[in-house]
Amino acid sequence: MMRAMFFTMSVFTFTIATIVFASAASVIPLYEEQVKAGKLPPMKERLPLNPYKVDFVSVGKLQGKYGGELRLLMGKAKDLGQITVYTYARLVGYSPDYTIESDIAEAFVVGDGRDFTFKLRKGHRWSDGHPLTSEDFRYYWEDMVKNDLLGKKGIPTQMLVDGKGPTFRVIDELTFRYTWNKPNPAFLPALAAPSPLYIYRPAHYMKQFHARYADKTKLDELVTEKNVRNWGALHTRMQRQRRPENPELPTLQAWKNTTPPPSTRFVFERNPYFHRVDPGGNQLPYIDKLIMSVVSKDVIAAKAGTGEADLQARYLQFSDVPYLKRGEKNNNYTTKLWSLGKGSQIALFPNLNANDEVWRKVLRDVRFRRALSLGINRKEINEVIYFGLAYPSANTVMPQSTLYKSDYSQMWARFDKEKANQFLDEVGLDKRDPDGTRLLPDGRRAEITIETAGESAEETDVLELITDHYREIGLKVYIRSSQRDIFRRRAYAGDTLISVFNGLDNAVATAAMSPKELAPTDQAQLQWPKWGQYASTNTKAGEPIDTDGARVQLQLYNKWMLAQDEQERTTIWHNMLSGYADQVFSIGTVNNSRQPVVISNDLRNVPDDGIYAWEPTAYFGIYKPDTFWFDR
Amino acid sequence: MSDSHYVNDKPFDPKSIEVLTPEQEAIYLAPQRKLIWWKFKKHKLALVSGIFLVLIYAMTIFAEFLAPYSVESRNSDFTLAQPHDVNFFHNGEYVGPFVYGYDKDLDLENMVRIYTPNKEKVIKLNFFCSGDPYMFWGIIAADNHFMCADIENPVYLLGSDRLGRDMLSRIIYGARISLTIGLVGIAISFTLGIIIGGLAGYFGGWVDLIAQRLIEVVQSLPTLPLWLTLVAIMPSNWSQIAVYFAITVILGLIDWTGLARAVRSKLLALREEDYVLAARLMGASTSRIIGLHLVPGFMSHLIASATITIPTMILGETALSFLGLGLRPPTVSWGILLNDAQNIGVVALTPWLIYPVIPVILVILAFNFFGDGLRDAADPYG
Repeated sequence: MMRAMFFTMSVFTFTIATIVFASAASVIPLYEEQVKAGKLPPMKERLPLNPYKVDFVSVGKLQGKYGGELRLLMGKAKDLGQITVYTYARLVGYSPDYTIESDIAEAFVVGDGRDFTFKLRKGHRWSDGHPLTSEDFRYYWEDMVKNDLLGKKGIPTQMLVDGKGPTFRVIDELTFRYTWNKPNPAFLPALAAPSPLYIYRPAHYMKQFHARYADKTKLDELVTEKNVRNWGALHTRMQRQRRPENPELPTLQAWKNTTPPPSTRFVFERNPYFHRVDPGGNQLPYIDKLIMSVVSKDVIAAKAGTGEADLQARYLQFSDVPYLKRGEKNNNYTTKLWSLGKGSQIALFPNLNANDEVWRKVLRDVRFRRALSLGINRKEINEVIYFGLAYPSANTVMPQSTLYKSDYSQMWARFDKEKANQFLDEVGLDKRDPDGTRLLPDGRRAEITIETAGESAEETDVLELITDHYREIGLKVYIRSSQRDIFRRRAYAGDTLISVFNGLDNAVATAAMSPKELAPTDQAQLQWPKWGQYASTNTKAGEPIDTDGARVQLQLYNKWMLAQDEQERTTIWHNMLSGYADQVFSIGTVNNSRQPVVISNDLRNVPDDGIYAWEPTAYFGIYKPDTFWFDR
Repeated sequence: MSDSHYVNDKPFDPKSIEVLTPEQEAIYLAPQRKLIWWKFKKHKLALVSGIFLVLIYAMTIFAEFLAPYSVESRNSDFTLAQPHDVNFFHNGEYVGPFVYGYDKDLDLENMVRIYTPNKEKVIKLNFFCSGDPYMFWGIIAADNHFMCADIENPVYLLGSDRLGRDMLSRIIYGARISLTIGLVGIAISFTLGIIIGGLAGYFGGWVDLIAQRLIEVVQSLPTLPLWLTLVAIMPSNWSQIAVYFAITVILGLIDWTGLARAVRSKLLALREEDYVLAARLMGASTSRIIGLHLVPGFMSHLIASATITIPTMILGETALSFLGLGLRPPTVSWGILLNDAQNIGVVALTPWLIYPVIPVILVILAFNFFGDGLRDAADPYG
């Protein structure tokens, strides 16, 4: 009896506490006066009828307090675009378990993989208070993509299936639909990407720059005033979503830029109409302002170490950790080590499109690539450079991915000099110079130039270790560093034999994500730039694939594009991963290395251990910085 | 009395008035070379600097022999190890120079490696012994080193870098590039400066006019943007050293103007001297007059500007490599070693990575003192 009563009592107190807490916080202190003065509607009216309720329980987040400024350091003004990555409000976005969920959209329905219907949240508003409706999507599709001037570049590739775009139809004020003839599995991942496909614009704002809607004389005046070529250029400049350069532009993100560039200090203010709430129904974000300071990237570690950032990971390297740890006590922050979500921290890409005929033949021989992979002592790299904290692995998905199998990461990734030597002998590099360097079939010395963009000391260090490893299997390595543009251009042109870059961008992939990185689909893929270009330009440029291994990968990718269900996609992913691992199209070193994340001791709800990756986590994006708050 | 006075019929010997001792004779009749040397010797600081420079340039010649390890040699068990202390007495007994080997601990909290000297592990320093094999000057295979210690139990007198390579060896090898590559630029700028300035000053008139305008045009080129552009347009299949060499050459092609001006103005004054006229009347050729009669007249000035320019070139290499515009790893130069030390953590945690700055300072100072002494000495009558 007593126990029952106690139970009831505690439930009762709990409920009261929740109510008190919720109601106490339901006024955002920053807006208190404006709401009282009637300049801003109260929170309830600013929120959609059905706001996005962030799940705090499953990820162990705590309900917080409003206020505070979050200081971030960036290395260049262009990094303004990082804020839209961090804040990560998307039409549909990745949830913490990497599945696609609705975010700005209230719901979405996919029919046969080719028919996408989205429903917006009723009462959802842009940051200036104007409602978000189907009109904003129609504006993008009809007045931008289909416009002669604005749509010059054509339909975005993610919206093309077999070279054809979708049909777009507005169903009602909040519902609209895109339909293709065939499935388009790339569509949703593109919408959820860190740098997403924005298929909407604030039509009510943009129309003043559009010749179809704006008054001609006014528009001409604006064009002259802003000193641009024509209204198209003006429109393009004013509508940038990824890099919020235009403080006037309404946004759907949690914070809105208030500083026009150029500047070295950008202040982002909270968006009063943001669509997410905490479990208590309080509108997010908790933090009032983001302050983004642009400093030289060389001093970012120094500044973070003296407590000048509240949340910082960009431009910090593993080698900065001892320094960062040392400053923790005096500067009220903690350095957490997140996992870096790349397929391989540093990977070698043998260029299968190299111009040198002899080398090309050698590089295309899978035994040679396997020998290159077996010749690397990953354990040493791990210990010397990553403190033994990373995983020696091929360039493939990480164990955190649902698609991971140890075969993919270990198949040719052990250190086996004998086997490597045997493979090299078989390939026809069996003759050697007196100093032990192997000779190519045409008698030249097997001297490989590995090219790098020369961007990090870590890369140079790893390469110096690899140079030593390869010397032991009779390959002489020269390292050439240049600038990134030159580096890429040389690889695209086939002048490069082997290039160095980071591995797969998405190493925690799920079957729903596109396996495009495993097949020749893009010129930027350094192991087959010409084949990639051939595919991405629809056979207009580049060269057709002429080896079986790569062809199989592309066929599998095309099959994935047409796959109807999850199971089929999973099977294809596994086939592609195992094909990629077996063919050793790129040579991985280690993955899962550590990314230092400096977090202010007052900042709550930042996970201690996350995956720091561009895709799918959008760096901090899927951890929802709008739920971070200051406990001061 | 006849109007007579005494005339000595012996031939007059002027030396009889003031009889020179053999020592004095040696001084008064000494050739100029000797005078310069005597004067130079008096400038103690310059003398010491001169000896230091000779030694350090000798070091670049015998780098393979002097460095304990080769440039690539590394022990990945001992990355970022602090410098070893050299001891002589172990447990109160004299054992000759030795170091205590390190025990390694990983501090996974702070991500640092901690090395503590193990009093049991005595590593004796060997001299004139066999170590890492090398090709001396790229031709002679050898493995002799002044000092060596097995890389398995490494001795780092100046600590080790991120990959466990010996800093001392890398500083010695780095001197090769840092100290020599700039000399090429200076050679070029001197040759051009003396020839163009000499012609302008000696002939005057329209030759002078053209030379002067040329100097003005070249002087008005901004150098830093020029360097940046040059770095960008160098053929990308050139090796790093070739690129840097090319930049130095081009810098030399730009740097001659100041010297040419000085040479010209000096020559304008000197060519009016009587001895020049005499030489001309005797039929001496122009080149002979400039080279033999005029240039020695302002040798001191030439030396002064050379000793100022050499350090500028060395600093230029260091500065450019430090900024990432000059040489890049795996080439080893002082600038590159310092570039590795750019990270803020270095200053706080691994200060021995900044040691390459010490030879840079010493060499620059030595060049300045040496030049000072030489300039005074080059004009021994002054």
